[in-house]
Amino acid sequence: MGMPGDFFQLLKEQGYTLGAPTAVGTGHALTNATTILAFKYRDGVLVAGDRRATAGNMVMYDRTDKVLEIDRHSVMAIAGVPATAYEMVRVLEHSFKYYRRTQLQELSFDGKLRAVSKLLKDNVPAALAGTGAVVPVFVGYDLEQGSAKIYFYDILGAEFEGVEYAVSGSGSPTIRGILHYLNTWGEQPLSALSEEQAMVQALRLLTSAAEFDSATGGVNREASLYPVIKLISVAGVQTVPDATLKPLYESQVVRYV
Amino acid sequence: MYEEPYRWVEAVGNRRQYLDEQFKQGSPVVALTYDGGILLTTVSKGTPKLYEIYDRLALGGMGHPTDLEKLRFSLLEMAHVEGFNRSPSDVTGSRLVKYGIAPVIKQAFEEVYKAPFIVRILVAELGQKPEKDALLTINYDGTFEETTGRAVLAATQTVQAKMVAYLKEQQPAALSLEQALDLSLRAWAIGSLAHQQDEADQQAEAKPLASSAGSSAAAIPSRDVLIAHVRGLVGERMIECAVLERQAPGTSKYRPLKQADLVRLLPTALHSVVAH
Repeated sequence: MGMPGDFFQLLKEQGYTLGAPTAVGTGHALTNATTILAFKYRDGVLVAGDRRATAGNMVMYDRTDKVLEIDRHSVMAIAGVPATAYEMVRVLEHSFKYYRRTQLQELSFDGKLRAVSKLLKDNVPAALAGTGAVVPVFVGYDLEQGSAKIYFYDILGAEFEGVEYAVSGSGSPTIRGILHYLNTWGEQPLSALSEEQAMVQALRLLTSAAEFDSATGGVNREASLYPVIKLISVAGVQTVPDATLKPLYESQVVRYV
Repeated sequence: MYEEPYRWVEAVGNRRQYLDEQFKQGSPVVALTYDGGILLTTVSKGTPKLYEIYDRLALGGMGHPTDLEKLRFSLLEMAHVEGFNRSPSDVTGSRLVKYGIAPVIKQAFEEVYKAPFIVRILVAELGQKPEKDALLTINYDGTFEETTGRAVLAATQTVQAKMVAYLKEQQPAALSLEQALDLSLRAWAIGSLAHQQDEADQQAEAKPLASSAGSSAAAIPSRDVLIAHVRGLVGERMIECAVLERQAPGTSKYRPLKQADLVRLLPTALHSVVAH
């Protein structure tokens, strides 16, 4: 018997296990090729992810959505093995709903963070075997404290708070440095950016990541393919439509040199 | 002692009587479709009687709170496991009722040496299209009915029929949420008044001297009388409303109406009792 309102426990009681059982070190390393980023701006948090999915040096798909809405106020951006990551998002989505509906109150923000950690911990064997590593960034609006928060995880489930920003995926080393530079010596700290400025920065950052990381897809104007950008504020999660990104990209990101 | 068929039939009959008795003090529940979805209304005494079950499913109940809670949990469990293992669109009210809880309720009712569930349940399902909306009611013996447009829970079949007849008669083609709330509360009052009348009639039967029978066949009360009845009760009770909204953002379509919503939507005669 688990705690009341624990959907994952309910699934386990029915014989469910997350990810395939694996022996340590038997698999071959799958890349966590992607770039996801999150940073705080004036009204909340911006989360963005490129849309490329790769297998080795093959581009598998160019319209992947790696920034997934879990509920009205939380989003998980995923880097790593998509099969496991999508499954985790599905479990989380149902867990939060189940908790809210059975207990007649919203799961606290800390409770949500713990739920993510627990899933990652259960996934350790698959992660170590190389077939199921997931390195997510969890972003949400803590309604009790009235502030937006960013957390990132390692594959073992340790959670770290990204006070200003967090990044993950193969393209992240490139932009981590840029984010640090911008936040420290930029004209204004990231947290002072307006919504539009934040979107422009996100597009520039992902374009930079795509410049140096072959596994990150940038913007493909010919195919009208823009990154997924979501904004999380007290009002909830809002997905930025391509129609908004297009003019911003054309006027403030493209440089003909 | 129940091995003999006759005894068993008798025991089940007694059980019906016992159960019917339990709902007399209960508050009716009204479910009504309006132009934007489905509205559930009741006037509860303390424990809430309207709940969210799944993305497009809501529950209304009458009866014993613990029994209702037990069945609510099994509905939640079934719905979420099914929604996770298959897909949210496979979670339908009719499957949950027909193959999920109705058989459980029936079994508990017929096992005469165990306690039955003291509940009447209403499951409202918001379809992808308005014509797919469904309203299911389950009685304490496990019999269920599926309807569209309107459904009610009340202490007796007669009262239920009265309320449904009123809803049918008063319902124009399509209602706004405001109109639906107004009509639901009036139908609730019809049910509540009928409960009171039934009790009064029973007492009159017990005392044959007071021969004021026949009042139960009185004409349908006017709008003002019905609203006044609700007004009279709201001091000690609470108007409880929830909607399944087709246009709600995200996947969860259930939303309980808060006090601010009620103040905005309720008929003016009831404003003062909510806004305190």
